Amino acid sequence: MAGLNKSILDNPILIVNHLKKWFTILLIPIIRGLSAGNALGHPMPNSVVLLTLHSDHISTELQIPLSELQAAIGIPVNDSSAQLVDRLGSELRAYLTKHINPKTLDGKPWRVTIGALKVHETQNAINGVYRELTAQLELTPPAGADIRKFILDYDAVLHQVVTHKILVSVSQDWAAGKLAEDAPAQVGVIELDIVNNRILPLTINLEAGSAWKGLISMVRLGIQHIAEGTDHLLFILVLLLPAPLLHTRRRWTDFGGIRYSLSRLLWIVSAFTVGHSVILLLGALGWVRLPSQPVEIMIALSILVSAIHAIRPLFPGKETWIATGFGLIHGMAFANTLANLSLDAGRMALSILGFNVGIELMQLLIIIVTIPWLILLSRTPVYRIVRLTGAVLAAVAAIAWTAERVTGTANAWAGMVERIAGYSPYFVFLLALLAIFFTIRTRQLKNA
Amino acid sequence: MTRSFSIFMPLLGFFMATFIACQDHVTPDPDTPADSTGTGMPGDSSGGPGGPGGNGGPGGNGSSASVEVSKAITAAMYTMTMTNTSCGGATGLAKVVCLTQAFQATLSDSLLSAVQLPYSLANAQKWSNLPAGLSARYGINQASLDETQRTAFKDLMLALLALNVTDEGYDEMIGSLVADNVLAVSGGGTTYGAGNFYVSIIGTPSTTGLWELLFTGHHYTQPYTFNGTAGTGYTPAFRAIEPTYAVSENGKTYQPMEQERLAFAALLTSLSSSEQAAAKLSSSFGDVVLGPGQDWKFPATKVGLKVGSLTADKQALVLNAIKLYVNDLDPTSAAAVLTKYTNELPDTYISYAGNTSVTAANDYIRIDGPSVWIEFSYQGGVIIKNMPHPHSVWRDHTTDYGGTK
Repeated sequence: MAGLNKSILDNPILIVNHLKKWFTILLIPIIRGLSAGNALGHPMPNSVVLLTLHSDHISTELQIPLSELQAAIGIPVNDSSAQLVDRLGSELRAYLTKHINPKTLDGKPWRVTIGALKVHETQNAINGVYRELTAQLELTPPAGADIRKFILDYDAVLHQVVTHKILVSVSQDWAAGKLAEDAPAQVGVIELDIVNNRILPLTINLEAGSAWKGLISMVRLGIQHIAEGTDHLLFILVLLLPAPLLHTRRRWTDFGGIRYSLSRLLWIVSAFTVGHSVILLLGALGWVRLPSQPVEIMIALSILVSAIHAIRPLFPGKETWIATGFGLIHGMAFANTLANLSLDAGRMALSILGFNVGIELMQLLIIIVTIPWLILLSRTPVYRIVRLTGAVLAAVAAIAWTAERVTGTANAWAGMVERIAGYSPYFVFLLALLAIFFTIRTRQLKNA
Repeated sequence: MTRSFSIFMPLLGFFMATFIACQDHVTPDPDTPADSTGTGMPGDSSGGPGGPGGNGGPGGNGSSASVEVSKAITAAMYTMTMTNTSCGGATGLAKVVCLTQAFQATLSDSLLSAVQLPYSLANAQKWSNLPAGLSARYGINQASLDETQRTAFKDLMLALLALNVTDEGYDEMIGSLVADNVLAVSGGGTTYGAGNFYVSIIGTPSTTGLWELLFTGHHYTQPYTFNGTAGTGYTPAFRAIEPTYAVSENGKTYQPMEQERLAFAALLTSLSSSEQAAAKLSSSFGDVVLGPGQDWKFPATKVGLKVGSLTADKQALVLNAIKLYVNDLDPTSAAAVLTKYTNELPDTYISYAGNTSVTAANDYIRIDGPSVWIEFSYQGGVIIKNMPHPHSVWRDHTTDYGGTK
């Protein structure tokens, strides 16, 4: 979703654009193109260097195809790759240490720490299945040196196998607004300079980053998260369905007035926000961590409960507390997203702030485009039908999601929900038409 | 009641306007396809660092042809009888132009517009050693031709390549198609096979102007860049094969690159140990260096052993290897090129890496002369695992793409 990379603030019609995003994201399947489509040759697999920029160091993953490594070092690492790391770990570390020498532009060496080594199978369209060695490295510049401009002197395999290619990409760069959810961006290739028969190190020169860019990208991520999360959207809507109504102990009754409706809306939305903000903070800092499957199941169940509540009041007058509780659950899903970014403390704090702002903006947008119609409709007799239809559909979706998330296998109903969700803007339109039509009609009937 | 209602009317208008404004923006995000044109998605270790050309193009991406169609193509093409009668009076370039126009005359409007491209170097550079399904080609593939069109295309190729030499010239081309049919049924699937080989006509065929006929598919690319009296270029020509073992179809057996391999082994093993030491490169090679996308990157300094320092019989072995590339062309064209390469033989260098017997992955040979450039690289199997297969490229320092650098 490269469109999300544009700064929000560059665009005065931010809200409109993100509503558009909400449409297009849901309407257009995200296709991650087959990268091989542009390849001209290179039947032998390449090496890959993936950089994740932090404030004071760069986490790096090296991916080295074993067949090529074998040709380079003359040890049968590919022919007999079983327990390779156990058998040859120290030799491989020594080899990598020798062949990765990042340095500042004026030649001062960076510190290199080699972490976990692993052998696993991978595949691509050109080479089919093959085995590769991955190494997790930490590259740290000398104090005061620029982390965004340096020389990457790396020539493992290539120093010997001159037809080898090393693709260098940035997979996460918070300060430039690039998150791990985006596809890695290639910043260069280390390869033989055929004409002069030499291998030049790669000069990395990344665009200037800032806390502001990082913050904005997190706002974007928050917006995207709600816009793409049909379950979060549906939860908010179904929670708001009965908000304009008065109730007895057993059933929903009449419209409670504008002031009553708005105040209840405000309380419910604020409570949900407080709930998920608190847990987002705790979760992103690593103090609370739940595996995502139970969280996802609880989210589906929270929609079911809210849907039933919209049909018959389950917890009348206590929506605020329920919304807070459900906020805690939804917040855990948000927190998992942030925790996966593994940021350092200062950036994590900004990220929590930005991510939360994004979530609020998107929530606010949804409320603004739907609530006026709900309030209008709730003053007409047809609201009962609208509310019940909406609640039943939400309940069906919630049951489908629960089944999907418990069993771990996709089902047709959940798939249909996602497809229908693609048309949500049209439902808003339909809702608006209904609201206008019945409001006018109700007035005419009263006047008559 | 009425008062609160009137507050809502302007609000209502605002939301309607917002909604309509949003609808205007419901278009596919133009940035989204950028993902698929990225050069080499890191993470899956595939893809090259890019080069000329891009994704898509007329025809090409996702090319696939059923095994039945691919086998029908080789069955229709493997015999070497010219059926064209109208171009018989012409010779040389005039005959090629006549046969190209005769081929074009058989094509429907849509095929004609697909096969004919304006001349540009970028269009000429749209070749690869990969299957067309993995690296898009321009033009039309063999699977899209009917019997009449295929016969006209065959007549054209018969005029351009050496005939009736086992595993050389036209027979080598057919052998490459047959081997690709074998890959299709050996796990490669429908992106492999004779149906996925493309022909394009780049520029307008004429005896005076610049134009190119390009035939390119997996493991076989042969361009002809015609430029009137300025001469013709036959390179960069790519030759490779998988499987390496002999394959049969239509009662004929093919092993298109075996002669080349044996010729290189004969040359390398004939050298004395000091000559071998001089020719041996310290680097290793997993492929040819000047493959697709590496145009005009000839090394500034030639490496290895100077052919002029060798005895006449060893020099003849170098020339034998060169002939297996040059003599793929029709005899008249081949003779002119071979004269040039023979004259330049003393200043030509040979070098190698790996074994002199040319039997294992990473075995590599290079012939680098003032004009000629030939590389032969033995490398691991892709579809037929655990069996090496060769890639080979023939280039010319000055007449690659007809010298249109």
